[in-house]
Amino acid sequence: MKIQDIINGILNGDRRSIARAISIVEDDEMVIESSEVIKGIYNHTGRAHVIGITGPPGIGKSTMIGRLARILSDGNKKVSVIAVDASSPFSGGSLLGNRIRMQESLTENGIFMRSLANRGMNGGLSRSTWDAVKILDAAGNDYIIIETVGAGQADLDIVDLADTVIVVLGPGLGDEIQAIKAGIMEIGDIFVVNKMDRDGSFLAMKDIQDSLAMTPQKEWKVPVIGLDSLKGKGYDELVSEIMKHGEFNGSRPNIRLDRFMKEVEMALQAEIRRQYLLEARELLKSKDAIARFSGEKIDPYSAAMKILRSGKAGL
Amino acid sequence: MSGGMYLVDGKNLSLFKDKPIKVLLAKPGIDGHDRGVLVLAKAFRDAGMEVLYAGLLPTPEEVVDTAINEDVDVIALSLLNGAHLTVFRKISELLKKRGIDDIAVVGGGTIPDGDKPKLEKLGITGNYGPGTPLSTIVDHITARASEARSRKMQ
Ligand SMILES: Nc1nc2c(ncn2[C@@H]2O[C@H](COP(=O)(O)OP(=O)(O)OP(=O)(O)O)[C@@H](O)[C@H]2O)c(=O)[nH]1
Ligand SMILES: [Mg+2]
Repeated sequence: MKIQDIINGILNGDRRSIARAISIVEDDEMVIESSEVIKGIYNHTGRAHVIGITGPPGIGKSTMIGRLARILSDGNKKVSVIAVDASSPFSGGSLLGNRIRMQESLTENGIFMRSLANRGMNGGLSRSTWDAVKILDAAGNDYIIIETVGAGQADLDIVDLADTVIVVLGPGLGDEIQAIKAGIMEIGDIFVVNKMDRDGSFLAMKDIQDSLAMTPQKEWKVPVIGLDSLKGKGYDELVSEIMKHGEFNGSRPNIRLDRFMKEVEMALQAEIRRQYLLEARELLKSKDAIARFSGEKIDPYSAAMKILRSGKAGL
Repeated sequence: MSGGMYLVDGKNLSLFKDKPIKVLLAKPGIDGHDRGVLVLAKAFRDAGMEVLYAGLLPTPEEVVDTAINEDVDVIALSLLNGAHLTVFRKISELLKKRGIDDIAVVGGGTIPDGDKPKLEKLGITGNYGPGTPLSTIVDHITARASEARSRKMQ
């Protein structure tokens, strides 16, 4: 597929083009192609309401998104979902398991869903997630929902990317909840206590409300909503708060600028990284010289400096 | 090359590593959950692949939809009874109908020897039976994935 065809496809909402474009922005080697795609669609972005959903593993994020996506897609709205999973630090592979919990509502309601592996990028969402959101935005989605595993500071990037951040917690997190809260109390626009059918859920709600009461008050009053995602209870309130928060955002033009700053920073990093990659690869070409350094017991720092000074490992 | 040795927890050192192969593992149509699929999924992950599991009893349409949306390189179909021919054929027809030639399809399960040529004709290769070493399956998927990849780039 040619880049221009992909761009046209995205703007027409063609799923294959959307899917291929996401693969391109996911691929570290395709920074140039990625930037072509984003350039081609940028004028069509900025309309979607981006909803980030984060919370500890197993708390029910995917189950919840399955329901939420279906409700939001009522009345002819277009909804897409991105779920970010962790790659194995050992093999680089991953099991992308979020889809299973959503599957039913996806196919029935024509909801596009894409799994992304974080490919070792800890500390937040990778650049590819940002670009994937742009692609889905340009494809005419009204809502884009992003699931990320978050159990603390690791996921703070979601704040920059999402218009509305929903933090999902639940009963039975025990002492863990204190550690989790330390990282995410400030980032939630909406708090959810999922698994309200379980013991301890009201306690969890109260705990969160108390913590919120101690954080500095902002313009937006952060609600705490109880959900039973197996039965679908509490979703009216959730949806109504999401809508309200969307309107609230509309009154704050600054967030667009903040986000743009962050995007420019990431684009710069990507370009520098690409140039570095090319250069490093070139510099490391001569394995013989490096083997010689090793034989001569030259330390790696000195070896690196020698290589840099001579312009290549051949020397 | 999976290049696992370059990956350190918390750091993406995949700088010199190929993009992972993405596989959709599906057990469509007929019978229920089985552990075999999970064993395969883990083996694929450990070989450095990104693995999606299509869930219980996906229809051929769901399999193809998922494969497109997720832009996988390979669909790996597993079946444990005789209904494979119809289901496998349906999937390869759907792919053809949607003009997709850059996703490879491989099969496995209890497949009578007599059916294998028919599957091959549909472009469904591998078709390994129970007891096949995981490394054989991984190698086959890797080879098919690189063919599919080269078509994606055109
Ligand atoms: N009792 C109860 N169980 C729930 C509820 N919501 C989800 N679950 C169950 O919790 C388990 C985990 O659900 P997921 O939706 O996969 O959770 P997740 O947060 O997406 O998990 P990861 O993606 O692995 O972090 C599943 O067995 C769900 O059926 C709920 O409201 N009540
Ligand atoms: Mg999940």
